[in-house]
Amino acid sequence: MIDAALSSSGAQVVLATSSDENHPPENIIDGRTDTFWISTGMFPQEFIIRFSNLIKVTLVTIQSYNVQSLRIDKCSSPDTTDFEKVLEKEFEQTEGQLQSEDFSLGGTRATHLRFIIKSGYDHFVSVHRVMVEGTNENHM
Amino acid sequence: MVKLRAKCILAGDATVGKSALCQLFRSDGTHFQKNYTMTTGVEVVVKSVNLPESNDSVEFFIFDSAGKDIFLDSVEKLWGQPSVLCLVFDVTSEQSFKSCAKWLERARAHTQGLQMPGVLVGNKTDLSVRRTVDTESAREWALSQGLEYFETSVKETENHEVPFRTLALAFHNIYREKLEVIQALA
Ligand SMILES: Nc1nc2c(ncn2[C@@H]2O[C@H](COP(=O)(O)OP(=O)(O)OP(=O)(O)O)[C@@H](O)[C@H]2O)c(=O)[nH]1
Ligand SMILES: [Mg+2]
Repeated sequence: MIDAALSSSGAQVVLATSSDENHPPENIIDGRTDTFWISTGMFPQEFIIRFSNLIKVTLVTIQSYNVQSLRIDKCSSPDTTDFEKVLEKEFEQTEGQLQSEDFSLGGTRATHLRFIIKSGYDHFVSVHRVMVEGTNENHM
Repeated sequence: MVKLRAKCILAGDATVGKSALCQLFRSDGTHFQKNYTMTTGVEVVVKSVNLPESNDSVEFFIFDSAGKDIFLDSVEKLWGQPSVLCLVFDVTSEQSFKSCAKWLERARAHTQGLQMPGVLVGNKTDLSVRRTVDTESAREWALSQGLEYFETSVKETENHEVPFRTLALAFHNIYREKLEVIQALA
């Protein structure tokens, strides 16, 4: 098992719909929860994580604040053309602590995951960390 | 440096000058729309405002909404999750001022409990002889509703930017507050 969503293992955020220079989307995949990406107004918001390999994904964990409704799409080709919906979830609002949500993906194969934040509990939401547990599939 | 994005609902009775106001704002004060073209739904106008003393800016998505009642249903469908509100009335029309309470209530129904900074704009101050709504009563009502009050004459290119600058600053302040909360958590 590896965490495929780490910049140190070759993951990249290839798109994010918001950017505050001080809180860039790379903060989502730096392995830390004290750094974050923040949305800068309006919904929906999205970001796409590209893995260095085709990954057989077992578990996705997202740590965030004030996210209300999230959809996750996946793509299993080398480029970001064909996304299909994996799941959609309403988050509980938390106060004074981060939201932490797990999703079992049951071995879905993906080269990219797209996270679409459809609404928030506030004007601005933050994503602190995304972890993608899985195994490398070498034939990409 | 950050570029915020704000959805601005622009509402008020028909013919008060909403479209004229946002077209003037978009064109940096160069274009006054003299002839009336009724807005029949929502027209989205995009315009950025730079904030003083920083490199930050707010990009407004102004939802210029029809004032005529028959379009209300389709207009309100597009009002979800607003960031800020700009309410406009015509200082020569008592009725358009009274309607602001109703427009405010409609807009607030879409906030889902979030803060929505707002301004009230009394337009057409150039028509001073026909004026029926005085500054004081408009300001008083605005304050009672937590709105800042401004007067404009879109025709004379007067004051048209201030309401949007005010909204941009208010939204930026909310951003900074929320950022502090998140930083304290992390
Ligand atoms: N004298 C004067 N006329 C104005 C002023 N602002 C707008 N008008 C005129 O008022 C008329 C109506 O303006 P619009 O901006 O189209 O009105 P609106 O509020 O968008 O109306 P709807 O789209 O029907 O809701 C136009 O003929 C404008 O030229 C102003 O400051 N002074
Ligand atoms: Mg109009």
